[in-house]
Amino acid sequence: MNVLHFLKKNKQFTVFLILALLIVGTAIFAPWIAPKDPYEAVMTDSLTAPNDTYTCGTDKLGRDVLSRVIYGTRSSLTMTLCLVLVIFVVGTLLGILAGFFGGIVDAVIMRIADMMISFPGLVLAIAIAGLLGPNMVNAVIAISAVSWTKYARLSRSLVLKIKKNLYIEAALVSGTRKGKIIWKYVVPNMITTMIVTAATDIGTMMLELASLSFLGFGAQAPTPEWGLMLNEGRTYLSKAPWLMIYPGIAIVIVVVVFNMLGDSIRDILDPKQN
Amino acid sequence: MAGTLMLSLLSGCGGSTESEAVSQSNAGSEKVGGQGEITIGVTSFADTLEPTEQYFSWVVSRYGVGETLVRFDDEGEIVPCLAKGWEISEDQLTWTFEIREDVKFSNGDDMTPELVKASLERTFALSDRASTFFEPESMEVEGQNLVIKTREPVAILPGSLADPLFLIVDTQVDTDSFAMNGPICTGPYAVESFSPTDACVVVKNEYYWDGEVPLDRVTLKCVDDQTTRSMALQTGEVQIAYNLKTENLVEFEDSDQYQIQQLESLRSTYAFMNQNGALKDKTLRQAVIRGLDKETYCNTLLEGGATPGKAPVPPTLDFGFDELKDENEYNPESAVELLQDAGYEDLDGDGFVETPEGEKLELNFVIYTSREELNVYAQAAQANLKDIGIDVKLNTVSYETLLDMRDSGSFDMLIWNVLVANTGDPEKYLRENWHSTSSSNQMGYQNQEVDSLLDQLSKEFDDGARKELIIKIQQLIMDDAATVFFGYETTYLISSTDVTGVNMYPMDYYWLTKDISRTK
Repeated sequence: MNVLHFLKKNKQFTVFLILALLIVGTAIFAPWIAPKDPYEAVMTDSLTAPNDTYTCGTDKLGRDVLSRVIYGTRSSLTMTLCLVLVIFVVGTLLGILAGFFGGIVDAVIMRIADMMISFPGLVLAIAIAGLLGPNMVNAVIAISAVSWTKYARLSRSLVLKIKKNLYIEAALVSGTRKGKIIWKYVVPNMITTMIVTAATDIGTMMLELASLSFLGFGAQAPTPEWGLMLNEGRTYLSKAPWLMIYPGIAIVIVVVVFNMLGDSIRDILDPKQN
Repeated sequence: MAGTLMLSLLSGCGGSTESEAVSQSNAGSEKVGGQGEITIGVTSFADTLEPTEQYFSWVVSRYGVGETLVRFDDEGEIVPCLAKGWEISEDQLTWTFEIREDVKFSNGDDMTPELVKASLERTFALSDRASTFFEPESMEVEGQNLVIKTREPVAILPGSLADPLFLIVDTQVDTDSFAMNGPICTGPYAVESFSPTDACVVVKNEYYWDGEVPLDRVTLKCVDDQTTRSMALQTGEVQIAYNLKTENLVEFEDSDQYQIQQLESLRSTYAFMNQNGALKDKTLRQAVIRGLDKETYCNTLLEGGATPGKAPVPPTLDFGFDELKDENEYNPESAVELLQDAGYEDLDGDGFVETPEGEKLELNFVIYTSREELNVYAQAAQANLKDIGIDVKLNTVSYETLLDMRDSGSFDMLIWNVLVANTGDPEKYLRENWHSTSSSNQMGYQNQEVDSLLDQLSKEFDDGARKELIIKIQQLIMDDAATVFFGYETTYLISSTDVTGVNMYPMDYYWLTKDISRTK
């Protein structure tokens, strides 16, 4: 009952949660939802316009665009969630260490972070992905490398604020181990803010991954991935616009849903509102 | 709704570009007072303009900077250029080239036969590729003549000298600066500035020997992306765009502002199969070739932008394309059978076969970015080979990287797109790629018979006998399943009607010529 009541009270959250679950469901159940095999190339049906057999048309190699868009949810979503998880954990952890211990640890971590943000993010990501070689995992690594700083800076400033509280000093004086202080007193006081940040970041990160794929540094053919599909369709823009329209729509929908979900979570969790 | 929105945005763009093109080109011609500057959209692979490095001399020749002793006309016939004429001695070992007298380099120096000799010697000293054309025993200057002696008879010597590699440079100047500032040559234009990835600006050569050069300055802008190149032509940013493909035609066909030329070219697209790796096994190579539906690639996917391939030399040249027997035609069933019989089996159930030794089989297929159709071939090949259970990984790199990868042999399959008759005849092409001692043959292909026939071919002067030899060589290469021949592309050249004199040559060494000028 409690859950129902909560969902009723936060209508916006409920709506976008359902939509997000639908998207996740699409990813999980892609093989049952997709009408065709996304890899099956019927070359004689190259660049068929949307019709009864192919709801969203076919691409250059005669693969069903709708199935590829549906399967694209899989790679886009898993990679995005991995990415957000990685930067959330790594960034927060480093930020806590820097903020809590200060001194040389702080200096080293934050100077590395400064180095990272002194480059334009995507450009640095392209450079890293280029060095590592183009594939989806390396794209995640590349974007993680440039995105963790945001979490580190945020969590560091939160920790610095929390550290000044009397209860931390009391714990220190009474000889509590540092690990325990961090885990019991620091983390619980900052984790909501961090989660809100992570939730609102999902959309942005998805776009960044798609951009890398679009530029050829992320997913590689023949993986069905939206950014890559956009890039492949680009050549046939005037002839077969459906190649770009449908993956484009998919990106827009998913990014909007996750952004709105993040917003709703912030509205609910943000301590300032209470 | 989003769809309609995007569509209207797109069509909005399309509509405005044409009017912009008109206004821009008008503005352009006013600015330079009708004399002329034009911009050409090109794809470039040159890191430097040093003609002896890699194939960079092609770029020097294409940009109207470098010229050779002889050249090819628009029929592919060898005609005089910096040499007025040539003759061969009775014993077929001595060639005499009469050097043109009134030629000056773009810095004003006279082009003497001595300098021609020095330039050729420089090429032989610096380029590994030079000696694969022919090896001179001696080069002597006799008056206005250059006498080249060879140890063995070389039938294709004049054609070889027409290859851009042998373009004539001024060796009296600081030749180290050629790489970045451009070589000093005799062409209608001289390099003003060069940036490998951005643009090369050439200006009129005041000392040009063959008439007045019509344009003051030409910018050859590197636009590697095909779509961008096509758009640049539509917006009037460039007046001529090279290397556009069938899918771009739709944007230009209905407009009288553009001139479209097409030529069933002498270019062949093929993939080397590296025999130092998994493809050492002939059965696997045969299976790969039989698994590829090249007819569909060319006719459907490329919409007729290429002729399906099977042999090294395209049917546009009369070297027996129709009588060659291809035992590895498209036949996925027999490909699967071949694999099964040879012990290739899917052991781990991932849908791809393992080698008879039980190891994973993944073919690393390297392609490059500047030619859009290569991607179509490669992806289609990947899809086709997946059907017969062969796992192909595509590796898309830049052309420069591809060259390095070929030289180091780090590939299983590597795409190549090349002019078949670069000396006016396929001999050089066959030797370069399939002779076991050729430095470009990094795929480990070796066939004694091919080697000896190629050696025989280089000494053969009779056209009929040459044709027979070339047919035999092709058949051997095909029987060995040495290489995948995808297709022979049709090339397009689209230019704005603001410029005139644009011509396509079967040997695409000549892009910017002295004939190109502005109409308004």
